[in-house]
Amino acid sequence: MPQQKYLCIQRSQPGGSPEKPSPAQMEAMYVKFNVWKDKFAKNIVDLGGRLGGGGVATAETTTDGPFVESKEIVGGFMIIQANSLAQAMAVARECPGVVMPGSSVEVREIHTG
Amino acid sequence: MTTPGLVEHFFRHEYGRLVATLSRRVGVQHLEDVEDAVQSALMTALETWTRAGLPDNPGAWLFRVAFNHLLGDLRRQTGRRRILERNVADFAAPEVKTDGVLAGEIRDDLLRMLFVCCDEAIPEESQLVLALKTLCGFSIGEIALRLFTTEANVYKRFGRARSRLQEASFRPGELNDEQYASRRGTVHRILYLIFTEGYLSSHAEFAIRRELCDDAIRLATLLAEHPVGATPETSALLALMHLHVARMAARQSCAGGLLLLEEQDRGVWDQQRIQVGLEWLAKSADGDRFSRYHAEAGIAAEHCLASSFATTRWDRIVESYALLERMAPSALHRMNRAVAVAEWQGPVAGLAVLEGFEPPTWLTGSYLWSAVLADLHRRCGYAESARRHREAALKLAPTTVVKELLQRRLQIELPG
Repeated sequence: MPQQKYLCIQRSQPGGSPEKPSPAQMEAMYVKFNVWKDKFAKNIVDLGGRLGGGGVATAETTTDGPFVESKEIVGGFMIIQANSLAQAMAVARECPGVVMPGSSVEVREIHTG
Repeated sequence: MTTPGLVEHFFRHEYGRLVATLSRRVGVQHLEDVEDAVQSALMTALETWTRAGLPDNPGAWLFRVAFNHLLGDLRRQTGRRRILERNVADFAAPEVKTDGVLAGEIRDDLLRMLFVCCDEAIPEESQLVLALKTLCGFSIGEIALRLFTTEANVYKRFGRARSRLQEASFRPGELNDEQYASRRGTVHRILYLIFTEGYLSSHAEFAIRRELCDDAIRLATLLAEHPVGATPETSALLALMHLHVARMAARQSCAGGLLLLEEQDRGVWDQQRIQVGLEWLAKSADGDRFSRYHAEAGIAAEHCLASSFATTRWDRIVESYALLERMAPSALHRMNRAVAVAEWQGPVAGLAVLEGFEPPTWLTGSYLWSAVLADLHRRCGYAESARRHREAALKLAPTTVVKELLQRRLQIELPG
């Protein structure tokens, strides 16, 4: 049983979002995602979710986003477990809709102890 | 590819159902908002269901999300507040209904939308696009692919239909009996077009063509089961659809190529389908109306009932084509009659049908016309003209699959 947990952060390019998917494409995505979910059931800890707007609390003051002057937008997150970073990357890379032209996923080890 | 917990094409069919139901509630002039709300509800479903699993009643879940989204959108548009107030009753939270009542309402809403699409003021090519978009849930890009045209062209046709609906002061729920009756013929025509786009298309992918045929049958069945559409013509339309679809798989070779009727393995024909088609055909004889759909269903039935190509009753097929030509004059029917006559009385008689006939440019510009001429000339032994028509046909063939079929069929035996 893999022990090490990883945080996956999905990013996409602003404005680079492709056209809205059609119902048939959505159905294909739904099917593919379920296949991925079954295949990596042992690796999935938390499927996370999409991230909305927010704010940054600092010692000085509270500011609204965007938080960094980045060309990328953090779209969502999930937590997976794997034996190595390489394995975690492989799981994330296969996740449908996560790695596409204009979007990428960042995988970070979570140190808890 | 299976969809866990959901029937195939669930997303596309739910799209059609939700657009139809919501359009009835808020008025079809808000079609754009309705489509946005449905699109967004399906996206939300995709995100939520993949993470949290399916809700108990996915259809009701989608309706609630789409309805709330639409309500929010319309409320934000202050200029339209009046409409909200006027239709306040419709905006009450949807009441819980038993499955039976709900199923009936869905059917009514889909049919109503189908008749809305067939507004006389909308050009036919736009009606077709509107139906494919709103009722079948295809995107502009998917429609362009299926109609062999550009996205810009589809978008233009769709825009034309939508602006007509926006200017209309009526609401789809207010279609009266007279309108239902007067639009029924157009509804038949649109369903027929959706079907033939799938059946006759030279599209390479079988699944894509089959999907259009199945959608046409789905909508035509709704029509036949409802008082506004239960006419002999609807039955005839369904008969011809089932009788064609029954033979569809047999037209494909294992390698994905197309097979000629005489090459097909008749054992692959779907006998259960043929039975369904014949039942509709029997139903269509109820009354004294004989429509072009009756003639076409009759032709399809003759093919289905023949145990081999050689035993086909070509005389009856010729008769049906002649009827079809009188009812719906088209150069295509004349050409098909020539082909059937050639099988019945020989190639010389077949060519005689086309004597003095000046086909329109849309037909002469199609590979079909050249292919038929090449075949008839070949069988008459006119090697030179056969070769000329064969070359033209091959040049006009839209896909390699069609080209292969033509090469096989039109081989010219060298004399001696």
